[in-house]
Amino acid sequence: MAVAVTMAAMKVAALRHSLRGTRAQLAGTGAALGAVLAGGTLYLAFGDLDLLAAAYAVWLLGWLLGPVFMGGGDETLRPEYFSLLGLKPRELATGLLFAAFVGLAPLVSIVALTGLVIAGVRLGPGNALVAVPAMLLQLAVFVLLSKVGVALVGLGLRSRLGAIGTGLVNGTILAGLGQIWVVFWALGQTGIPTAVAYLPSGWGLLAVRGVWWAIPALVALVLVLLGAWAALLTRRLGATRTSGSGRRPIRAASPGGAIVAKELRTWSRDLVRNYQLTFALAYGVGFAASPLLIGWNGMLPYAGPIFVVMAAGLAANMYGTDGTALWLTLMTPGARDVRGRQLAWLSVHAPIAIVLTVVCTAITGGPWPLILALLPALLGGAVGLVPLISVYGLVPGTDPHRRANNPLRTSEDDGGLTGQAYAALAAVAATAVPAALAAQWFGWAGPAIGVATGLLSWWGFGALAERRLHSHGPELLNEMRTGRKATGARSIQTRFDQLPTGRKAIAWWCFGFGAIPLFPQGVVAAVFVANGMTRQSWFLATYVSPGLRYPVAIGFAVLGVAMYAGGTWLVLPKRTKRQGSRPTPPTEAL
Amino acid sequence: MTPALEIDGLTKRFGEKLAVDAIDLRVPQGSFFGLVGQNGAGKTTTLSMAVGLLRPDSGSARIFGEDVWSAPDRAKALVGVLPDGLAMPERLTGREVLTYLGLLRGLPRDVVVGRTDELLAVLELDGADQTLVIEYSTGMRKKIGLATALLHAPRLLVLDEPFEAVDPVSAATIKTILRGFVVGGGSVVLSSHVMALVEQLCDHVAVIDQGTVAAAGTLDEVRGERSLEDTFVALVGDEDGGVKELSWLSR
Repeated sequence: MAVAVTMAAMKVAALRHSLRGTRAQLAGTGAALGAVLAGGTLYLAFGDLDLLAAAYAVWLLGWLLGPVFMGGGDETLRPEYFSLLGLKPRELATGLLFAAFVGLAPLVSIVALTGLVIAGVRLGPGNALVAVPAMLLQLAVFVLLSKVGVALVGLGLRSRLGAIGTGLVNGTILAGLGQIWVVFWALGQTGIPTAVAYLPSGWGLLAVRGVWWAIPALVALVLVLLGAWAALLTRRLGATRTSGSGRRPIRAASPGGAIVAKELRTWSRDLVRNYQLTFALAYGVGFAASPLLIGWNGMLPYAGPIFVVMAAGLAANMYGTDGTALWLTLMTPGARDVRGRQLAWLSVHAPIAIVLTVVCTAITGGPWPLILALLPALLGGAVGLVPLISVYGLVPGTDPHRRANNPLRTSEDDGGLTGQAYAALAAVAATAVPAALAAQWFGWAGPAIGVATGLLSWWGFGALAERRLHSHGPELLNEMRTGRKATGARSIQTRFDQLPTGRKAIAWWCFGFGAIPLFPQGVVAAVFVANGMTRQSWFLATYVSPGLRYPVAIGFAVLGVAMYAGGTWLVLPKRTKRQGSRPTPPTEAL
Repeated sequence: MTPALEIDGLTKRFGEKLAVDAIDLRVPQGSFFGLVGQNGAGKTTTLSMAVGLLRPDSGSARIFGEDVWSAPDRAKALVGVLPDGLAMPERLTGREVLTYLGLLRGLPRDVVVGRTDELLAVLELDGADQTLVIEYSTGMRKKIGLATALLHAPRLLVLDEPFEAVDPVSAATIKTILRGFVVGGGSVVLSSHVMALVEQLCDHVAVIDQGTVAAAGTLDEVRGERSLEDTFVALVGDEDGGVKELSWLSR
């Protein structure tokens, strides 16, 4: 127990140090958002308890998936720190579990879980009494499932097969969540399936409702998960293996060829890149194919384009993930690094995207002009914007040989990585707009425009990236070395951090929720209206009278675009400052 | 004769801290130059600025007369650099790293292949053909770093802590290579905090303390009658000699 208390105290100390300055503001925003979600959950506790069970299922999903997509979750206390102390695995896991209870996310979750007490009070004094242990056990289940999930993914990323498998599973899950309306539609119901109440996330509520086995089941689950985590921790403390097969010699004979050869080898050997590639592929296929469940194949041809956009989003920190290896590029100024990386990126992604697109579009029989316009435009846009974003919005990564045994954690700056990925998704998607419009209006002119804008993006954005690398190489290297922005550099992230709290919250909402009016309520709803699919689901436009359907959908799309534009406007600098050797006040160093 | 490396008033400030304060240094051609100083004295920062890896706030650096910042292509072709603790293309084997960098430097393919073989053999890295750099030990990383610095046959080597974590046998090999390089007219600048090593190898030495040059010149000029270590402690240590003991540890 002493170990557990000490570890919890360490966590408190670390949190106290990290919750200063801009980070505190960020945490404050997160806490506010969490409080809103927890409040919503508590509100449900006063109403239909089946809805409450569903809400807890969503909380569990957040605990499970959040860390996997956000760079490996909370790693304030790393198991490696304690490896020399000779603790037993179970002792270590228990200690880390106690430490994991300290933090913002558990705090918010326990607030949400007091819904169990509310439900208990409504049902009777005995039920209220059961609610207290149920609440704590339920939180332990959340935290432990999250830890075991991350550990399993980490273990999966130690072999190529595991990396590919994990990428497939995670990509499919995320795509399924994005297309959850299909599931609701397919089930033909708006109510909650009864199975939800029997998920582990609902056991606490079952206990409160008087199901006798629920508390023992929770205790058993906590013990099993603790054991599993302890076992996984001992595996984690071993060295990370890299895939070690097939050492084909480099046959290139020119500087450009050498860069391509190096990149291609990294793409095939780095298991994190294997994971990202399969993740993007599974996401594209899953997202486009899931409407097949309700007999609608109209989205299937977009599997290839979605794959390209997702792959670009995941690769957006191209230079950051290589860390300080940038020094070699700086010492060989003649070589054109960006062009080589572009070529390698294309030769890995383009064949997959082309095959996927042709096959899927052939299955549905079209619309060929639109799809063939999107594909080259997106491939060019991605291959141009990925290096550009990674040099202009660099998120300093941890050098590969210094990373802890959590392969998902390529940087200490989760927020920066997430923002960068979203920026890349949006920017790459935007490069296809001219080609898509041309295809809609003029049919086969679309693919020609797509090829033209694709080539232009590849060449133009690549040239910009190359120039930036040349002019700001030492600053980028210094950022990578120290993990902070060079003095004078004003990134989106720092600008975001420096916004007043109110405006920052607005920008958060704009970026976080702009997708809802734009895509489901705007674009998808318009497609549904156009196809006469007015079986009302959750698209508002299908509820209103026929004359108003398009205006409502368009209105939502405009609202979505306006939210993104508003958020961007808030974050953009209000006056342009030329950065250079001008010494900046030291307070700017994060 | 043009100095191999000429540093004029290089200055770098990190926030409040003045890391390097207007340092001037001349490294004559054909010299073996040692840069010594305590941890945090500014050695790495100075060397990084001298070869173009870190932009100075002010001052300039020239390699054989070519300015590192205004003529980087010419200056960087003349120098081989071993930085301390930076990453490499981690998912390549040692042989692949050297092939990649040789081609990147514009060397013909057959030259690259020949030199790679020779470097791997001499530095005893040829047994690790299947091993990716990310799996290398610290000493092996130093050796592959040194190989990348030597690969394009530069006229000046700038090496940051080249002997740290390197085993004695490999260290002897590296010393032999470096001495041969200097005898053949090459110039070497290395940083270290091992005084005996600097005394053994170098003919010129500069002592860096708190971002400034505390002493510089030939080895004999700097150390005089004393050993380099005594001179160093006298130059940068505290007034009381700077040596403290742990009361509870010595029984």
